Amino acid sequence: MIKKLLVILTALVLFGCTEQTSTLFVDEAEGSVTNYENDTHGTYASTYVPLPSENTVIRNATVFDGDGNKFINYDIYFSDGKISAMGRDLVVESAIEIDGTGKYVTPGIIDNHSHMGVYPAPGVRTSSDGNEATSPNTAEVWAEHSVWSQDPQYKLALAGGITTFHVLPGSANLFGGRGVTLKNVSGNTVPDMKFPDAPHSLKMACGENPKRVYSSRGPSTRMGNVAGYRNAWIGAENHRDHLEKDPSHRDIKNETLVGVLDGEILVHNHCYRADEMATMINISQEFGYKVSTFHHGVEAYKIANLLADEGICAALWADWWGFKHEAYDMTIANIAIVDQARGGTGCAIVHSDSASGIQRLNQEAAKALAAGREAGFDISEERAMTWITKNPAKSLGILEQTGTLENGKDADIVIWSGNPFSVYSKAEQVYIDGALAFDKATNFMPHTDFDLGVKEWEDK
Amino acid sequence: MKILRLLLLLPLLALAHGDDLYLLKGAKVFIADEGFVAKDILVDDGKIILVDDFIENIETGDVIDVQGKFITPGLLVFSSLGLLEIGALPETNDTGSDIYNAGFDPSRAYNPFSQAVRLNRSKGVTSTVNIPGASGYFSGMLTYTKINGGMKQKKQGPLGLVTRYGQSYNDSRAANLMYMEDLFSYVRTNHDDNYADMTQFMLGTTNEYKFTSRDFKAIKKVLDNAIPLVVQVNKATDILNVLKFAEAQEIELVLWGANEGHMVANEIAAAGVPVVMDPLNNIPSTFDSLNATYENVTRLNEAGVEMAFYYEQGAGAHNAYLATQSAGNSVAMGLDYSEALKSITSNPADIFGLVNVGYISQGYDADLVVWDNDPLELMSSVEMVMIDGVKQDLSNRYKELTDRYTKELDKPNSYRSRE
Repeated sequence: MIKKLLVILTALVLFGCTEQTSTLFVDEAEGSVTNYENDTHGTYASTYVPLPSENTVIRNATVFDGDGNKFINYDIYFSDGKISAMGRDLVVESAIEIDGTGKYVTPGIIDNHSHMGVYPAPGVRTSSDGNEATSPNTAEVWAEHSVWSQDPQYKLALAGGITTFHVLPGSANLFGGRGVTLKNVSGNTVPDMKFPDAPHSLKMACGENPKRVYSSRGPSTRMGNVAGYRNAWIGAENHRDHLEKDPSHRDIKNETLVGVLDGEILVHNHCYRADEMATMINISQEFGYKVSTFHHGVEAYKIANLLADEGICAALWADWWGFKHEAYDMTIANIAIVDQARGGTGCAIVHSDSASGIQRLNQEAAKALAAGREAGFDISEERAMTWITKNPAKSLGILEQTGTLENGKDADIVIWSGNPFSVYSKAEQVYIDGALAFDKATNFMPHTDFDLGVKEWEDK
Repeated sequence: MKILRLLLLLPLLALAHGDDLYLLKGAKVFIADEGFVAKDILVDDGKIILVDDFIENIETGDVIDVQGKFITPGLLVFSSLGLLEIGALPETNDTGSDIYNAGFDPSRAYNPFSQAVRLNRSKGVTSTVNIPGASGYFSGMLTYTKINGGMKQKKQGPLGLVTRYGQSYNDSRAANLMYMEDLFSYVRTNHDDNYADMTQFMLGTTNEYKFTSRDFKAIKKVLDNAIPLVVQVNKATDILNVLKFAEAQEIELVLWGANEGHMVANEIAAAGVPVVMDPLNNIPSTFDSLNATYENVTRLNEAGVEMAFYYEQGAGAHNAYLATQSAGNSVAMGLDYSEALKSITSNPADIFGLVNVGYISQGYDADLVVWDNDPLELMSSVEMVMIDGVKQDLSNRYKELTDRYTKELDKPNSYRSRE
């Protein structure tokens, strides 16, 4: 009898949740319709609901605000999931008090190049869902439709301070499909993880990968790649013209490309070589779209001024190189040179492209910072912090919501045991929308269904 | 005591060649089991001839003031350095073989002029143990190579025979154990003279089951306890099977990877088997590593397992020097600092029985690195590298590229100086 009652209660609660979620969903959908027509009228919009949070104040910490500033002995107060006040000796009412003495506080770390979810762990064929390598142009596929919401890698990234990450399709294709920006929260469905109102993105890829994958059917050369992009954009223009006559016409491949031409979908372009990046900029000018970010860009430093002039970000590794020909001309100063271009107006980002690297983006930034200083640049730690917070947020079109510690922004916050540019520092607590999502001291973190029954040794 | 040592030293000094004589004064020197201690180091003719609290200035040779600096033994990495220039280009990749497996020694292809070698040397690496990549049942031999500039490198080896156990084969892992037993018994019962005729051990359909006489001879080295069997294995139950196998075969064993080693740490320790691993491997990246965790390194250490570290993340093949980052992170995970630094210097030397390397101690090769700060920190840099007492050129291609794009910007880049 008691059991039965419990089941009914659970069902009610679940139903209640569903109802509540639906209400939210409608709100989100309306927003999406206004901003992003290509989101198929909101059908796939975010259903993310923040975890319950309590008003909290962190006291007396060293704060990197992600906007290039450093504050000593600073307090940060967040309430209702938003940052409400920052300063010294804040007076706040009824909040959880956290002593930040000796600690460092930063915005939640953002990785704008991840394949978690589409290449989940364990890496097996049956869940390898990142590359629709069946045609050079698969602008019609969406990474969010591959993401496995139970990937056990998310929580490892969370322990490294990652609060937001951008999942991209792979780089086999000229047009790999749409990427998706996720909050690093566990959700039963992908929309439950989707960053509310984040713009959609389009993955494009230059160079060796597409020409290798399609060598037999084409493109098999870099010039073949470029012809492929241009033909596709012409096709998108034709589709847009056709829509004027027949607004109800559907073509999901071209809907993505037209979304780019209309400035609603952000281009994230995998491209290593400097000359190819310059060519991609030419193409964007021919068709009147903007490249948000070049990814990997091992040679970005060679055209750092051009990138700064064009307002294009470069998402880079600190030191990866040599795994293929177009990744040979590496310098660990790459990120710093891009950052310092045109009087420090460059937009440099440290990205991971790795479920291991995403756990230590702060360390990757530290190595890049050291190399920048070695190259003669005067770069502060607070400046380098922008490479893994503000700049990736800008690159993903979510800087209004997150990426820096400012009043009114999402309380996505990391408390570090020490200076995050030290190898010995660890993220101790991670807050997402003001809710504690990870606590190292108590081993508090989400566990996916996949984890069940695995870590038996933990209890021994 | 000190006077006695100096007296003993006098004849040595008399023999010293001025050119090769260096006195490094005032640094914090990493002495295994002591940590960083203030010591002076006297180097002559490629060897460390004295390490002491204070050494009087020498009259000939070079006195190098390294006050406030840190000196460690040269980093000893596990890598493809000198064997692999560009990963995706087979033309530049000499790490593997389809012809040979057990008998394959890739170090014979070593290229001292590889840009990866230059980079790693400038970052404090003085020697590498190659990771073989043959496609058969065995991956090949481990060999130790110093990465000094110029054509001639000192080598030691072979140090071990590498194979792997677990999910990587199509057959059941049970069958693979049986196969290894049969293979080893076959090699034991046949004499060297017969190997030439044994081109194929069993009728197999794949290259994995083919062996040449060179391969059999390499396996025999393991059976004769001349070298250990080095097994790449991750799953806890597989590790137990490999330990039992080695015990039954009475062979020396080294475990490699061991992502789930922490679950059987006591068993590994009891068998006295060392582990070569990357402490950063915490992803359940295969079904053999479902229990991968950052705690692996501390749990193995607490059980008393001897460890050596390599760096496997990202572009690990080219950035082997980042073993310092693996070691630094292991300290953040709770490992004792000295243990972490030993795991990239003296422990690999001990595990593979290397002679006169890995320590800063009298009589050892003068493979030394001077750091401006804590060598495990991300922002520290290398100021001097000495291999066999020779100061190494610390230039590398990335710094040259950096200069090209940050200096003389008034000239077209192709006409900027090439230093």
